[in-house]
Amino acid sequence: MRPFTVLTAVAAPLEIAKIDTGMILPGRYMRRHRRPGHDYAEAFLYDLRFNDKGRPREDFVLNHPAYHDARILVTDSDFGCGSSREGAAFAVMDYGLQALVGPSFGEIFQVNCIQNGILAVTLPEAAIHELWRQLKERPGAEMTIDLPQQTVTAPDRTVHTFEISQLRKDRLIRGIDDIDVTLEHLGAIERFEAARRAALPWLPTARRS
Amino acid sequence: MSGPRTLFEKIWSEHVIVVSPQGEELLYVDFNLINEGQSFLAFDQLRIEGRTSRRPQQHLAVTDHYLPTINRALGTAGMPNPEIRRVVEMLDENATEFALPHIGWHHRDQGIAHVIAPELGISQPGMLITCNDSHTATNGACGALAVPIGGGNQLKHVIATQTVWLKKPRTLRISIEGALPPAVSAKDVVLAIIADIGVGGATGYAVEYAGSAVRAMSMEGRLTICNMSIEAGARIGMIAPDDTTYQFIAGRANAPKGADWPRALAYWTTLPSDPDAAFDKELCLDAGALAPMVSWGTSPEDCSPVDGAIPDPARIGDGDRRRHVERALDYMRLKPATPLEQVAIDRVFIGSCTNSRIEDLRAAARVLEGRKTAVPGMVSPGSSAVKRQAEAEGLDKIFLAAGLEWRDSGCSMCNGSNGELVAPGERCASTTNRNFEGRQGRGALTHIMSPSMVAAAAIFGRITDVRRIVGT
Repeated sequence: MRPFTVLTAVAAPLEIAKIDTGMILPGRYMRRHRRPGHDYAEAFLYDLRFNDKGRPREDFVLNHPAYHDARILVTDSDFGCGSSREGAAFAVMDYGLQALVGPSFGEIFQVNCIQNGILAVTLPEAAIHELWRQLKERPGAEMTIDLPQQTVTAPDRTVHTFEISQLRKDRLIRGIDDIDVTLEHLGAIERFEAARRAALPWLPTARRS
Repeated sequence: MSGPRTLFEKIWSEHVIVVSPQGEELLYVDFNLINEGQSFLAFDQLRIEGRTSRRPQQHLAVTDHYLPTINRALGTAGMPNPEIRRVVEMLDENATEFALPHIGWHHRDQGIAHVIAPELGISQPGMLITCNDSHTATNGACGALAVPIGGGNQLKHVIATQTVWLKKPRTLRISIEGALPPAVSAKDVVLAIIADIGVGGATGYAVEYAGSAVRAMSMEGRLTICNMSIEAGARIGMIAPDDTTYQFIAGRANAPKGADWPRALAYWTTLPSDPDAAFDKELCLDAGALAPMVSWGTSPEDCSPVDGAIPDPARIGDGDRRRHVERALDYMRLKPATPLEQVAIDRVFIGSCTNSRIEDLRAAARVLEGRKTAVPGMVSPGSSAVKRQAEAEGLDKIFLAAGLEWRDSGCSMCNGSNGELVAPGERCASTTNRNFEGRQGRGALTHIMSPSMVAAAAIFGRITDVRRIVGT
């Protein structure tokens, strides 16, 4: 997993509320094997980016040439609500985004993003509206997200601070796999498991049949 | 000793292995369900990292999302779309490689994971259950703490360690007091809750559904309510176990047997929230004031009582809400202020982990009995066992005589990942859980409602107040 520390990049404003994970990664793409050169970049927000004929919708913000290199998306509320499909986070990543900034996110989606090294930052609605205004005023403007300092710097250099759990922050900064972290506690897990099975021997187990 | 605690707090604290000072806790997973959906992402990665399953017998792989509901007897040859067939085959292969128990397309117990886990007695009070599906909270109706996980990293973690890192949510009790009016079902209750608090209204909370209406409800109804917790933003929804729960579990394949039964029962009865336990937030709903609900927009919060009208965005003061409603009505091809009962539909779907259990099929069949439908549609029972039960009761004959298709079980047209889709521009009355843009297929126009409401819509070819038809 790529470590996340400080990101300065073009940011795109996406002023549509309640973009659910099914819009981020349409269901028809979910059965696709994801491998290099054949990833979910195309699928990302497909029905918003392309028309029925598969041609880019010119009026859609991400199709504006100024946002071609966008690495940050400033979203509207409830971005990533809906189904738990992790492919939605992969679609965000494969499209080339490294960070999302919005008033609120679907909870599962936000966790999935962080698990895949994408920072999803929550800022108050007023701050988001101001970021949109600046980004629309100067398409292609850059923002900076500093994870160690927990700050988002707007194009006009206004600095906003954000909250993130220390655990998530550490893992993003170190880019480490959470299984490695967990298995440091293997002894405790094994003791817990043995005690629980002894106390509640009826807990179900399944068999291959 | 600790003070009064909630159902959620009791089960949560019992599963904590490591308390992190940093805000996330490592919890033990008693049982994990795996669907074929996106799990190949996890298995691919486990294989790359050379990891195995720590506790294979505490998992059950269930093929439900991609399985066509027709031509089951032909096996994988009955799956004409090669991509779909491949996903089904991948779960077979991954379950075998990782030695995981598996209920595949060919299994006698095949069904939707959240239907068969309670049905097989796997979902029990006090357990922590995970599944790579956002509707995992369904199992919380059995008094379990059931948590959805991501199909990639989180599932990989549960398979490799039998644990999950979670941030402890706050607690929200939603009490539904009083008696439900005739023809008002569990689905209407949960839709009314979501319409009230919004799709983000319970985000960050573990919800306990309580109150006399819930106590009086069957397990099928409770499963429907917990199922849609995520539609209000809550990953966890649960209902305290009681005699209804115990009677439902008793005798099922994985239920405690012999001397274990009284021991289990003694433990389960300690779980309900203590009378003076405090919740971070409380909501109360008057069951008697509820009506059959129907969605008109593109978010589960966009629903109203069926005798109401489609909202007029011009009358909505909140800017974000107005923009959403405008966009939703544009997508749904609906005019503001139209009475809901004037909306014509093109097809119906009865099924999904929300409303495909025997009681749901009975409710739909009661409305359809002796009548013909005006539009096509299909009925997909939630499990092979539900299908057998329905056929034993003759419900299949009622659906077929009315003009609907009687299919096999699976997630099917709820999200169409098995290829069973609503056509672009087609309007579907559906017992499912989500009316998002494109959920049932690109350009599909979904109206979610209860099984009896879908049956009523099928008969008249338009959204219909089921209370007009039957004195149910």
